[in-house]
Amino acid sequence: MIKTLIIIGIIYIGLLVTLSLASRQRHKSTASYLLAGSKLGSVIGLFTFAATLFSTFTLIGMPDFFRTHGVGSWIFLAVSDAAMVFGIIWLGHYLRKKARNKDFKGLSGLIRDCYQHNFAGYVTFLGAFIFLIPYVSIQIRGIAIFLHATFPEALPTWGWALAMVVVMLIYSETGGLKAIIYNDVLQGILLLVVIWIASFVCISYFGDIQSMFKKVEQTNEALLSVPGPKNLFTNQFLIASMLAIVMIPFTQPQVVTRIIIMKSQSALFRMAIGVGCFAIVIILPTLFLGMYGAVKYPDDSTAVFINKVLIRDQSDSIAAFIIIGLIAAAISTADSQIFALGAELRSLLKGDDKKVLPVARIAIVFFAVISLIFSLFSSDQLVLLARTSFAGTALMGPMIFTGIFSQRKAGLTLPVATLLAMALFVGSLLSIFPGSFWGIRLDISLFVILALIAIISNYVGKKRLSANDLKEVTNT
Amino acid sequence: MDNSSQQRLYWTLCCIAALGLIFISFTPLVIPAGVHRPAIWGVPYTLWAGIAVSVLLVLLTFIGTRIHPGRKNPEEE
Repeated sequence: MIKTLIIIGIIYIGLLVTLSLASRQRHKSTASYLLAGSKLGSVIGLFTFAATLFSTFTLIGMPDFFRTHGVGSWIFLAVSDAAMVFGIIWLGHYLRKKARNKDFKGLSGLIRDCYQHNFAGYVTFLGAFIFLIPYVSIQIRGIAIFLHATFPEALPTWGWALAMVVVMLIYSETGGLKAIIYNDVLQGILLLVVIWIASFVCISYFGDIQSMFKKVEQTNEALLSVPGPKNLFTNQFLIASMLAIVMIPFTQPQVVTRIIIMKSQSALFRMAIGVGCFAIVIILPTLFLGMYGAVKYPDDSTAVFINKVLIRDQSDSIAAFIIIGLIAAAISTADSQIFALGAELRSLLKGDDKKVLPVARIAIVFFAVISLIFSLFSSDQLVLLARTSFAGTALMGPMIFTGIFSQRKAGLTLPVATLLAMALFVGSLLSIFPGSFWGIRLDISLFVILALIAIISNYVGKKRLSANDLKEVTNT
Repeated sequence: MDNSSQQRLYWTLCCIAALGLIFISFTPLVIPAGVHRPAIWGVPYTLWAGIAVSVLLVLLTFIGTRIHPGRKNPEEE
């Protein structure tokens, strides 16, 4: 396997380098370097969106989630993703119009401009930073643990993590968002191919799908329905998860940027349909991997299970492809998020590109180092940590929607309330505050309270916008 | 009813259908607790019902793109 892995690895790195050099620009500007020229077609848009969204969390986390919690995982992710793509066509149109009117450079800058106050921009940046760094870290950690378990003699976990961060930084610093997007296309295709190959091997172990579910029923019947063997999939958990996932295209900067830089409304629409199909096609094989694990390796740890299902039980050449696919999946999501944080910082800075862009590029390296450090200490519960990241950024949803849709001059009540809500949510994660009140999950309660504040602040006691501003909003 | 208000009506109906579908995903119609029958080709109930909901939502997304009020935006095309 080592020989095949080296050959595939060299081809993969060669393609990364070629694509990065092809997208390298001599004269970097915010529009070209951070926003990739804002002319994304639907096919490239689909793959970059999908590669950003589906990652280690999907490839390693979801098989383990299906194995541990059963078929309710489909409702948790696939139904939520399908609802999310409908949300993109419903509201993406308004987001794009607002972004065009406000000379979009990043979500934080956009929200600062909508609220006409720096504080709103800082809250958006802080939310992205607090909840994206752990998400980036789990991508890196997930693959580093897996690689260490597969090749224990080669490198320690931190060595694998460091190697990935260095590769990621080299190509994103060289080619900017364009390089990331081209590499996302490569990585998205690789991810899809390897996961299906691995799942076919798992199905063939049982003979067919019917026999697979029969075996699962004999092993652990609770996996075939909700709430699952560990009672995770309660209605509240599923509703809160859907809320968090549906908000991703409007609250996570790396995804917001991809919606805004699509070249046209129709390209956005085609991309949304494509992402919906991609979600179904990519989550389905993780179900097969998970059910296979539920029968064969019900008691193994995540790392051991993933190592067995994706490497040991596959042929050498397929295992080599899977390893590269896993690395690609982690890199494609992590680089987008780290790069987005750099772009967010840029959007808050005033000044011309010559002065400000180098600051953003240094910040990207800084964010990568923080993610690397965090990855050495984070938990192995990939899916639940990713969900926490989605829920955290979702708290910014009411503030962002008010900024985009409100026809009144938005005050600072909502940004202040959002900041408090995020602090409470982080406090609950650190067990300083309880995770639920009166039987209702804290993330749902906070979201509902923020939504109510948004509605009230939209109708009560705020000065109307000036005629010019109003005209601009009405146009959207 | 002129063309644009007819389109708005279809779009509203499409949104209502999507919201309705999302709503029933959290009811026993799709996620009955502890129940995995009736199965289709061995696939447990919640799973095939969940797959059906996902496919229908993507289908509604496709229909939505054909009737969205902002579909023909001369500024962008």
